[in-house]
Amino acid sequence: MTRGGFLKWLIGVLSAVALGGIVYPVVRFLKPPTASTATIGQVVNIGPVSSFPAGQLTAATVQGRPAIVTNVAGKIVVYSAICTHLGCVAAPSGSELHCPCHGSVFSATGTVIHGPATLPLPLYSAKVSGGSVLVGPVSFTRASYPTWYKGQFA
Amino acid sequence: MTQTDSAQPAPTHGRVRGALAWVTNRLGMEELMEDQFNRVVPIHATNYIYCFGGIAFILFLILAVTGIMMVVYYQPTPDAAYQSVVNISTNVAFGWWIRSIHKWAATGMVILVFVHMLRVFFTTAYKRPRELNWLSGVVLLGVTMAFGFTGYLLPWDQKAYWATRVGTDIAGSTPFIGHFLLVSLRGGENITGATLGRFFTLHVLVLPVVIVVFLGAHFFMIRRHGISGRL
Repeated sequence: MTRGGFLKWLIGVLSAVALGGIVYPVVRFLKPPTASTATIGQVVNIGPVSSFPAGQLTAATVQGRPAIVTNVAGKIVVYSAICTHLGCVAAPSGSELHCPCHGSVFSATGTVIHGPATLPLPLYSAKVSGGSVLVGPVSFTRASYPTWYKGQFA
Repeated sequence: MTQTDSAQPAPTHGRVRGALAWVTNRLGMEELMEDQFNRVVPIHATNYIYCFGGIAFILFLILAVTGIMMVVYYQPTPDAAYQSVVNISTNVAFGWWIRSIHKWAATGMVILVFVHMLRVFFTTAYKRPRELNWLSGVVLLGVTMAFGFTGYLLPWDQKAYWATRVGTDIAGSTPFIGHFLLVSLRGGENITGATLGRFFTLHVLVLPVVIVVFLGAHFFMIRRHGISGRL
């Protein structure tokens, strides 16, 4: 291969790489993000019931979002840990949830004990099947949630 | 390139060159292409300060491409606008990248259009016979600002709302026609979904047509007059 031929080849390869660096993101961008939305509402297995002891608040991750799992006399209830005030993550503290940002306190069932939050934490549909806790999509029926809050789950 | 070289027919070897030569020949554009591609750039105009206008134009092209891409996902209604922007930034593949490029290119274009204006002003390139090109440039500066102002509302967040509130209030303080301007921009007395619809239409339909027409005039005149002389 001559030096000129090699340089031409090199320019061709570099141009193709540069062009690919533009075309690839554009094509990916135009492809509808169906794959990622499907996982949001998907039913996920968050582990065996035994890992959520009765009468205790356990922090868990559901579909990539922080959630709280409670086990009251064998009945599993799962609700979001995203505070309805400004979207911080509330953490279990004894039988309550405390939000670190502005001090909202929620009860073990996710209702407001005191503000600044005014709305209860939204519930996930959850059931026990074959000894495992299965969690489905979040439901916004518990209160009238603002758009920005629903956006936390999009 | 010497006179003898440029007088020779375009090379016909290679598929792309052959195809281009064929199109040029069938459209009878050989002389025009010859004229456009064999221009002498005066040595004083090879200074970097003469690049600002061209860079602003490249940023405009980037804005057009990234803007068209975002319209695919953007929804200009008060209920869905903010959520659709969040969707672009968090959910769509490379959406954050496209939106960031659009934002930074927009900022850069405003700066470069302004710096280009300063270059033309300080090299006194606006003088006869180039007055009309200066005036078309004034329109392009205004259109660029209008792009920025209308685009700012589209994310439909608090910043967008209040910036538009203040901006349209300023328009409302114009003597005599102020109130008319205010309600025309807002589509009513207040900033509502009607305002969003109007700003969206301006941003993606009206202003692009205006800027393309004036860019065409701007470029035609720079070719007609040539680059202005040395200081």
